[in-house]
Amino acid sequence: MTLPFPFPREHNWPPFFTPQPNTTTRQDQLRKWSDLIQSWCRHHRQYRLSLIEAVESPLFHNATLRKRLDIREARAVVDWMTKSEEEGGGGRRAEWIPDAGGGSSSGVMGSAQGQGPRTVAWIWWKRPEEWADLLVEWVEGTGQRGSVLTVYELIQGEGTMSQEFHGMDTDVMLRSLSVLVKRGKAQIFGGEGQEGVKFF
Amino acid sequence: MFFKALDLTTALRPLLLPDETLLFVQDAVGLYEGKYKIQNYQNGHAYLTSHRVCYVATEDPRKYSVAIDLKEIDRVEYQASFLKSSPKITIHPRPQKNKADKSRSATASPAVFQQSALHSTQSLSTLPQSNIPQGPLSPKSINATWICPICSFSNPVPSNFDPATASAATHLPPCLACGIKPPFTTVLKAAISAATSRDSPLPLIASPAISHSIPQPSSVASPGPGGSVSCPRCTFVNHPSLTECEMCGAPLLSAGSSANANRVDSPAPFFEQSHIANTEVSESIKLSFRAGGEKTFHERLKGALVQRKWLLQNAPPVPPPSQATFSPGLPSAAAAVESPVPSTPRSSGVGIAGLERRGLEARKKNELVIGNAFEDLGALMASAKQIVALAETLAQESGMTSSEGSAETSAVLSESAAALGMVTTKDMLSSGSESLYLSELARDLAEYLTDDRKGILQREGGIMSLIDLWAVFNRSRNGVELASPSDFQKAAELWEKLKLPVRLRRFKSGLLVVQRYDWSDEKTIEKIQDWMEELRRIPPEDVVPWDWSLFGRAVTAQEAAHRFKWSVGVAAEELEMAEDRGILCREEGIEGLRFWRNYLSDPISDNLSRLGI
Repeated sequence: MTLPFPFPREHNWPPFFTPQPNTTTRQDQLRKWSDLIQSWCRHHRQYRLSLIEAVESPLFHNATLRKRLDIREARAVVDWMTKSEEEGGGGRRAEWIPDAGGGSSSGVMGSAQGQGPRTVAWIWWKRPEEWADLLVEWVEGTGQRGSVLTVYELIQGEGTMSQEFHGMDTDVMLRSLSVLVKRGKAQIFGGEGQEGVKFF
Repeated sequence: MFFKALDLTTALRPLLLPDETLLFVQDAVGLYEGKYKIQNYQNGHAYLTSHRVCYVATEDPRKYSVAIDLKEIDRVEYQASFLKSSPKITIHPRPQKNKADKSRSATASPAVFQQSALHSTQSLSTLPQSNIPQGPLSPKSINATWICPICSFSNPVPSNFDPATASAATHLPPCLACGIKPPFTTVLKAAISAATSRDSPLPLIASPAISHSIPQPSSVASPGPGGSVSCPRCTFVNHPSLTECEMCGAPLLSAGSSANANRVDSPAPFFEQSHIANTEVSESIKLSFRAGGEKTFHERLKGALVQRKWLLQNAPPVPPPSQATFSPGLPSAAAAVESPVPSTPRSSGVGIAGLERRGLEARKKNELVIGNAFEDLGALMASAKQIVALAETLAQESGMTSSEGSAETSAVLSESAAALGMVTTKDMLSSGSESLYLSELARDLAEYLTDDRKGILQREGGIMSLIDLWAVFNRSRNGVELASPSDFQKAAELWEKLKLPVRLRRFKSGLLVVQRYDWSDEKTIEKIQDWMEELRRIPPEDVVPWDWSLFGRAVTAQEAAHRFKWSVGVAAEELEMAEDRGILCREEGIEGLRFWRNYLSDPISDNLSRLGI
């Protein structure tokens, strides 16, 4: 976290901040922004991105160029990231979090995904499925199949210090575990905040 | 008369000689030689100029275009349309000097004209056949001559005269020199002796007995020492390159020069040739007008033949009527009248008074020129040169006073006043042929654009908007016969169809521009990419936060316009075109719209940035 984030060279290039009218160029531009946002979040171990905060961060605001991606444009980029590649999007690398943060009264627009204020989004620099694979790998690698672990242990425990999911957002961990539950490889039990998980 | 090769302009029109003016244009014209259609010359434009009649084929005009000088035309005949036959104009050639004996006789008496016509048809009949060189023996009894007993002039035996069937009642043409009808036996003997000499396989040396009474038209002249040829009739030893005897005019057919000699009698079989330029026209040629216009063409052709403008081709300009007031002091006044007339001594006036007097003199002079010009039409024609020169000077002067931005355009304008000669006006075309007017206007425009002297397209960087062109073109017409915007656009749309070297192009925004036909987006893009590369090598003047050695610098439409000499509108369109192709990308900011090389889609920088992540 101490190292400064290595920005790609495009970030220091004025046209990067102007929405391109040419469709092909626009796709490339969005892809580059998507890559940038993902690597930014990964570098900062950030799982959710609040656009309102981010537009003032160096991610969307290049002070030397005096160029910024305003919130409307940033939203367009994240919107593109939420779409699957088949829809011409960025492969579901982001997901809007309804009614999260923001603080504004939503619900009028409906609670469907992508609606509402659309200011906070999960940034899936690893998708829950990918996290699940990582977990399974770790469980099998450490011979803990059949054992019971708490979610807290998974995230903060000493045994996972070397793993990438150490210090992960609890919600993301639960999303990843639920993927494993669906696959029949784990079972979650326990109440809110006290979840335990058993790997099969 | 010859079919001459024709130089074409870039707009595929005849290249006019100095002082030559275009009088009339008609499309859908076919060319005939005598009675026969000439292959490949059946659909084209006929251009009547003050010096020539030109034919330019619609298909492959560079190959199939010929011209006939008016000075070689003897007379023209008009033939109205009849049933399915289109109206035609027959052009009869002026007799040539080297065919003196036949041609002169053709004009001498009408009775003999019939005979020479027979000659022509006879020679023509060989035309559609193969181009096998004809041996000296094969032509029918052209060589047969009979000698008039009265004046001893040797006359040719009529080609239709057959000794086998002829009787005393056969009509015989009179002697060409004295006009007395020959006795039948004289002609018969001449014909028979000619026939026998033709039938014999070996070339005969004329026996003295026969050559006394009857001229022996031997087919082969005996080559003398040193290659000289002795005449079979009078035994005069001629130079080998002569085709007719210098003394008696008898045809010389030496074995060595038989091919050349043959050409004289019957023109080259050019029906076999796809290209008739520089071939001789033995008989009349016809222009067949399949789409009308023949009456005007005929009238103007007659007018041009009467006017004989070609005589003036190298004539000195008309001297100015008044030389006393002419002052060389003012350069514009000197330029106003180009005349080699020695000028009067410089007026002694100095200072402002002198200048004023000179100005007054110049004005008086101009007044006089204009006054003379409008006195009557004839005087106007005579003063045309001066008037054009004056107009040029006035245009130049007005160009000086206007803002410097348009100085260049004004210069173009004033220079193009000289183009007055080569503009098609509706007057030149028969009424009702709108399409012809448009196509001629399209050609005018193409010529105007590609003319190297004016170089309008070059000046504008090879591309200019149609509206600019319309303005410049109409101004260059000096207010007469202006082209209407709709005609103008229609004409511009015809360029592609007419295969002219300019093209009309519509940009995405609807802007219409004019450009050379070989101008392509690829070329533009190449130029822009070169420029972008250059920008990567040259460090920017100010310190820039980005990596200029990788990204270069942004360019605006103004900069592009300046660099490529385009107008700003065109430059903006071209940059957007490059953006459309993914070559450039844009940056919108408070400085305005700027364009960069597209590194977003560039695979090389793509890899770099991925490594960076």
